[in-house]
Amino acid sequence: MEFPNIFWGVIGWMIFWAVVGSVITRRLYLHKDLDTSNAAFVGSMLGAAMGPIGLAALWLKTPELTNRLLVWPAVGAVTLIAAAFAFADPSNNCVANGSFVASQISNGIILGIIYGFMALGLTLIFSILGIVSFAHGEFYMIGGMVAYFVTTVWFPGIYPIVGILAACLVTFALGAAFERMFLTPMYDGKIERPVEYGILVTFGLAFTLQYFIQATVGANPVKARRFFDFPRLRLPTAEDPWLIKTSRGNMELFDTISISNPRFVAAVACVLVLLALLYFLHRTWTGKALRAVSLDREAAAIAGINPDRMNMLAFALGGMIAALAGSLLVQAFSWLPQVGAIPAMRSFVIVVLGGLGSLPGAFLGGIIVGLVEATGTGCVPDAQKAASYIPAYGMIVLTLTLLLRPTGLFGRRFSGGAHGKF
Amino acid sequence: MSRQHTPQLAGLVLIAFFAVFPFVYSANDYPYIMHLLITGFFYAILASSWSMLAGYAGQFSFGHMGFTGIGAYTTALFCHYIYLSPEATNLCTEYAIGDQFLIFVNPIGVTSSTLSQDCLRQALSAWDGSVQVTAMPVWLGIILGTVMGGVFGLLIGLLVLPLRAAYLALFTLGFSEILRAAISAEIAITRGQAGIELPYLFDQGITLFGRHFDKTDKLPPYFVMFFLLLTCLGILAWLAKSKFGLFVRALREDQDAAAALGVNTTRYKVLVFVITSMMAAAAGAVMAHYVRIITPNNLMILQMSLVVAMAVIGGVENFVAAAIGAIIIEFTLELLRNSFEVGDIVIDMTIWRLVIFGVLLMITLRFSRNGIISPIINHFLRGHVAKETVAKRGAAAESAGGSS
Amino acid sequence: MIDLVVTGLTKRFGGLHVLKGVSFEIHGPELIGLIGPNGAGKTTLTNILDGAIKPNSGTVYLNGERIDQLQSFEVARAGLGRTFQVTRSFRRMTVLENLLVPALALGHGHNRAEVDEKAMEVLEFLTLEHLRNEYAQSLSGGQQKLLELGRLLMLDADVIILDEPFAGVHPSLMEIIYRYIERVNEAGKAIILISHQMDSIFALCKRLLVLNYGDLIADGTPDTVKNDPTVIEAYLGADDDEQGATNGDQAAS
Repeated sequence: MEFPNIFWGVIGWMIFWAVVGSVITRRLYLHKDLDTSNAAFVGSMLGAAMGPIGLAALWLKTPELTNRLLVWPAVGAVTLIAAAFAFADPSNNCVANGSFVASQISNGIILGIIYGFMALGLTLIFSILGIVSFAHGEFYMIGGMVAYFVTTVWFPGIYPIVGILAACLVTFALGAAFERMFLTPMYDGKIERPVEYGILVTFGLAFTLQYFIQATVGANPVKARRFFDFPRLRLPTAEDPWLIKTSRGNMELFDTISISNPRFVAAVACVLVLLALLYFLHRTWTGKALRAVSLDREAAAIAGINPDRMNMLAFALGGMIAALAGSLLVQAFSWLPQVGAIPAMRSFVIVVLGGLGSLPGAFLGGIIVGLVEATGTGCVPDAQKAASYIPAYGMIVLTLTLLLRPTGLFGRRFSGGAHGKF
Repeated sequence: MSRQHTPQLAGLVLIAFFAVFPFVYSANDYPYIMHLLITGFFYAILASSWSMLAGYAGQFSFGHMGFTGIGAYTTALFCHYIYLSPEATNLCTEYAIGDQFLIFVNPIGVTSSTLSQDCLRQALSAWDGSVQVTAMPVWLGIILGTVMGGVFGLLIGLLVLPLRAAYLALFTLGFSEILRAAISAEIAITRGQAGIELPYLFDQGITLFGRHFDKTDKLPPYFVMFFLLLTCLGILAWLAKSKFGLFVRALREDQDAAAALGVNTTRYKVLVFVITSMMAAAAGAVMAHYVRIITPNNLMILQMSLVVAMAVIGGVENFVAAAIGAIIIEFTLELLRNSFEVGDIVIDMTIWRLVIFGVLLMITLRFSRNGIISPIINHFLRGHVAKETVAKRGAAAESAGGSS
Repeated sequence: MIDLVVTGLTKRFGGLHVLKGVSFEIHGPELIGLIGPNGAGKTTLTNILDGAIKPNSGTVYLNGERIDQLQSFEVARAGLGRTFQVTRSFRRMTVLENLLVPALALGHGHNRAEVDEKAMEVLEFLTLEHLRNEYAQSLSGGQQKLLELGRLLMLDADVIILDEPFAGVHPSLMEIIYRYIERVNEAGKAIILISHQMDSIFALCKRLLVLNYGDLIADGTPDTVKNDPTVIEAYLGADDDEQGATNGDQAAS
């Protein structure tokens, strides 16, 4: 960084006014007898984006905090950070090199879709069972392992879809069995603190699964072959290469953005499965029953839905979604028994950011986290440091979310049962 | 002698046993057994302090290993970068204190293979042995590490105040991960994955009971760790018996109700974080000086899993049970280390033992939520309660019957 | 002399106006019933008095000390105690420990023998003496309710808010609760009783406060309140609120 003082100076200024804004705005709105639920967030963002001028305007007018007022200051704050960075480090790749930025953003979005999809499983489990599964990363890992063994070791040349289906089947069964054996005592009130029990017992499951795989498969990284090759494409002509160009493993758009095949395939598959999942949740009886249980357990039980069944289904389905993400990404990354830890952390960040229990929130949160990570890895000057800090980028998002808007983007209050304890 | 006193008696016997053990035991595997015991004590401190945090106060934090790391890295960096010298180097950042100079060595990371050496090394070669530089005392590093653990404990305690259950677990896990990422990334200062070396706990050796112990001897660190464990258990016992224990348990059961009865929940929630973090940091600092190298992998989630599993299997709501559980599990894990062959297949027990351990953790949680050791202690401590209740009820009914 | 002065309390949650300027005063060892249909704001009012939530405007003074901006534990130490609608005993602590929490929180810890003695006396009064070393979770629902009342005795609060103390309590324990209320009152403390059981309220209280959708619509003796046209309208009113209608039936009976 050439002028670190500019960057850190601006960051310090923003933090100062954000803190001032969040504290005073809340007090002011409380005092003026206005709705305070978003005051801290708007105050901090407006303070960060516009400093004392924005805050003065806000405090003088004290307008109703509409969605527009929620979004724009946040966008402004992000823009300001980006601008400060650009001035501080003009020769940085992600300031000077337009095609690098475009590549980074599109890769961020593509990975974000996959992250969001994986987090969907976690949020599904949470909205039905009221627990956070700490074994989510291990389901992801096992999904990848099963897909690897089926498509590369046991039946090389088989359709990759078979591997993916096998991964789904195995993890669905595993999730259902675990739920029956270990989570059932949570429902009848025999356990004093069901939430903590859920955390600990899924933590135990994660530990067991990780070492079970390490004991049986070994600790060496494995890599599955690519599921699918791109057809060779050059549009519109080879002499005029500005639209799409593909080789078997890569796709280049507009001659600048390059997207690797496995990630692209995984993202497309995730979107397709997401659509199928939405259909399942909104159009089938079982899906509607699941949503009903997540909204109101008792009422659903009265309406003739067996909530116990739904618990099993949700846990198995949630684990299966993680495994699906894993089985799609096993062709993109090398696979280890420990590979689930970082995606699991990332899923936690995403569900908190999106709002625990919110499906659209998980997806949007995934894309945001994907973009943040892409920015982080692309822009931090020292490449090795940037890579080491990958888990930290998400955690910064998590910390900010918990401090400024604990309900997340689309958080809702849960009524009864274990949910109430959060 | 009533049954109620059996646990106390057993505890005294156990302490006496560990106190004389290093003098009595003399088999060939002496250093190995001593190493296991030191490690066992280390985990016992972590498990018992975590049981105070999670079991008594109900704060399921997954950042405990992070605090060990803070303690260990504080003392490591302190001993690595700060020296006392009678002469000014005129190269380093230095401050005169009396007739000595406090020297802050510039971090150059693992690039010492290149020509650049740190400022102190350059000064030393210029002096050519004419000046004797003193390293900082290890005990000061350990104290600083403990204090730093408390400072971070305070910070985390304040940050997690509004968080409950799952959010708390996620946040603390995240804290631990950020710390690990930062330590791995800041190679220039922490030497990253290569790890940072520490001096011996007693660099000059030590004379105890009229016998001189070499710096590589296992007995002095054994007793340091043992006394640290006893101190921590003593503090925890005192806290648990005093109103502190009562209040944090009330906090665990129902925060709002405790506040409505006049308990300053904020203060006790932060306090329990500070105290347990300091214990973890102290244990981490001593352990780091004993094993003499610390890497970011010491903060890994596996380590945290071990502590959690030890506390849960021992009994998370009884810190003594958690400590005993930790020592027993440490030994069991070591005993299970021996791999064997079934036909042609080699069963690699170094991994399988962890699988067994994970299954044991889940089964303990499922069928005996108070752990395995804690019910035994409770059997002695509370066994009389039911009988007493029945007897009193009987007496009450009789007197009521008589009066009517 | 006990002295609780509540002036102009308002509270909104988002757009919902839960309390719209509630004012009343309590002087001396009064026994006051607080009634109103569901959603009237009784629980919100309790939570504000207790310090669990802060009002948007208005003040609460207890014995001359302003308590509306204090935290819950400070309010408790200032002398206002409450029970919760759903019993909230410390389930995995013994009965005795449950009672010790408020006593030690007040700083009476230095005289442990006295505290223990008082706890035993309270347990005897509540007929829970034989259970003193049992965990609270092994008590019946009614006994847990008694335990919660016992904790308030240990807190020695000047004003006690009892939120639905009779709900789901066996008649034999009900008598103990009546005796409890009598005892607290005779000791010179004020009690605010929230209940849907109108017969108990009318039997016990000399003064009633009626809340309806955030407004204090009546404040007076049971007889005047019973015949107050606004109260009758609130309970039996023309609106098709079923809940209100059921409560109205109770009120009329």
